[in-house]
Amino acid sequence: MADLTTKLGPITLKNPVMTASGTFGYGFEYKDYYDLRELGAVVVKGIATFPSHGNPTPRVAEVTSGMLNAIGLQGPGVDKFLSGAEYMPFLRTTGADVIVNIWGRTIEEYCEVAARLDAERTGITALEVNISCPNIKEGGVAFGTDLKLAAKVLNAVRKSTTLPLITKLSPNVTNIADFARCAEDCGSDIISLINTITGMAIDIKTRRPKIANLTGGLSGPGIKPIAIRMVYQVAQAVKVPIIGMGGIVDGADAIEFMLAGASAVAVGTAIFADPYAPLKVIAGINEYLDANNCKSVSEIVGAIRL
Amino acid sequence: MKQGEIIRNTLIQAGYYRVDFHAPEICQTARPGHFVHVRIPNLTHRILRRPFSICNCTPSGNLSVLYKTVGEGTAALSELKPGTVCELMGPLGNPFSFPKADEYPVLVNGGYGAAATFMLTREAPNGGLMLLGARSATDLLLVKEYQEAGFEVRVSTDDGSAGHRGLVTDLVHQVIAEKTDRKLHFYACGPEPMLMALTRILGEKNLPGEISLDHVMCCGVGACFACVVKVKDDNADGWRYARSCKEGPVFKAEHLYLEQ
Repeated sequence: MADLTTKLGPITLKNPVMTASGTFGYGFEYKDYYDLRELGAVVVKGIATFPSHGNPTPRVAEVTSGMLNAIGLQGPGVDKFLSGAEYMPFLRTTGADVIVNIWGRTIEEYCEVAARLDAERTGITALEVNISCPNIKEGGVAFGTDLKLAAKVLNAVRKSTTLPLITKLSPNVTNIADFARCAEDCGSDIISLINTITGMAIDIKTRRPKIANLTGGLSGPGIKPIAIRMVYQVAQAVKVPIIGMGGIVDGADAIEFMLAGASAVAVGTAIFADPYAPLKVIAGINEYLDANNCKSVSEIVGAIRL
Repeated sequence: MKQGEIIRNTLIQAGYYRVDFHAPEICQTARPGHFVHVRIPNLTHRILRRPFSICNCTPSGNLSVLYKTVGEGTAALSELKPGTVCELMGPLGNPFSFPKADEYPVLVNGGYGAAATFMLTREAPNGGLMLLGARSATDLLLVKEYQEAGFEVRVSTDDGSAGHRGLVTDLVHQVIAEKTDRKLHFYACGPEPMLMALTRILGEKNLPGEISLDHVMCCGVGACFACVVKVKDDNADGWRYARSCKEGPVFKAEHLYLEQ
């Protein structure tokens, strides 16, 4: 069995497979399925300074090889996240590495939530700054598709916390490498990509959009080639480690991301079909490494042959 | 992951099927209102599971689901042969409460909603009443089964081909006017407009009821927040979105927040 220990800048995880934010709730929802410590890390659903209703329904639509969602970051707010029994207090009891995804409507709100989590950081391995949610009116992707705004928010968050910072990038840009460089320049320790790709679907019987928000984020196996391409481009552009995601279902998918330059991966939409998908991905990576006589998972990161 | 081998999968009447899975572990703890989340193996290019109300569980561990072929998922399910093994998650969700001995259960169902309340017939000590609404006589399900389980059945159809011509909520009004000597407790599953109309009636008459909502779901366990429904809350807005897979699918009628 190869060594799966994964070093991502300032953090070290027991394996390279985590959950993608928004697809694993707050970990609590899956506690009866397996020990969360089996995961490289649990990445929780986005947390803001305030509780949030999220978007009107319908919020999701299944499409060929994927799904559209516009949940709109429904969440308990940071106070309840830090105190509620099914949130951070629960996660602390599991001993799992926890990455908290954060978002805000303004730069100040991003900084405030980062500072609040920093002040109660026991059990928090890192923060993931979400500047890429396509489904909210204020904040989110507005910061992730404008280089000047991205720099402002990322610099400000960096000053608000000493926790390791991951910046999650949007694929809804012309040149994702520019945003990766921006994140690295602003002090992000790690870059994660991709968030969902903005899409739309229409019910031809009713002629109405299938999602109340009109547009939604496309995820699932159908987006994997786009994500692989973007991970490859970002890996050429920055030195900081990359967490790759977008349509990963099995170990082979994860290996593809790693060959393109990702040091770790996240499983998202596949969890809806199979809660055990992340564990199957870990097993699949292991098998590949053994079959290819690799002693450590780090040997395949960026090992694409051109 | 729990597995369920298909024991039978047959057309019961035009457009409606019954599939039985051998799933003894799920049957042990399943209660009326619970659902199973089924991965349909032959559904290529589609990634999500499909949730189905549990219609019945036998002591030998066979779990039945009634379904209508409404889309690609149910069409693919209808093609599966006995012997096929499906991955099942369940029993999931918040079930109906146990009927109390001093209460008279009134089940109000629309179409294949009749499946979701069927196991209540085993838990109701003194029988009860089932009101079933459907488009047409050919859309009425489980009438004989409810009768055999000791329930009185009254039906309504949109086209008048069976029972009362009109809405099932018309029957609800009749029953409330008629059964003034009984302590009524309502249980309901069906199309959302019908359920919201029923919720309004129960609110006006101050009668207790439990409503099973059928929403588009992804994860089935409360992680994705896709299947939310508005429930009353003491926050500034007076409502919040509750996950119908986790806090539901069965909600107390008085907890549901109705749009003005």
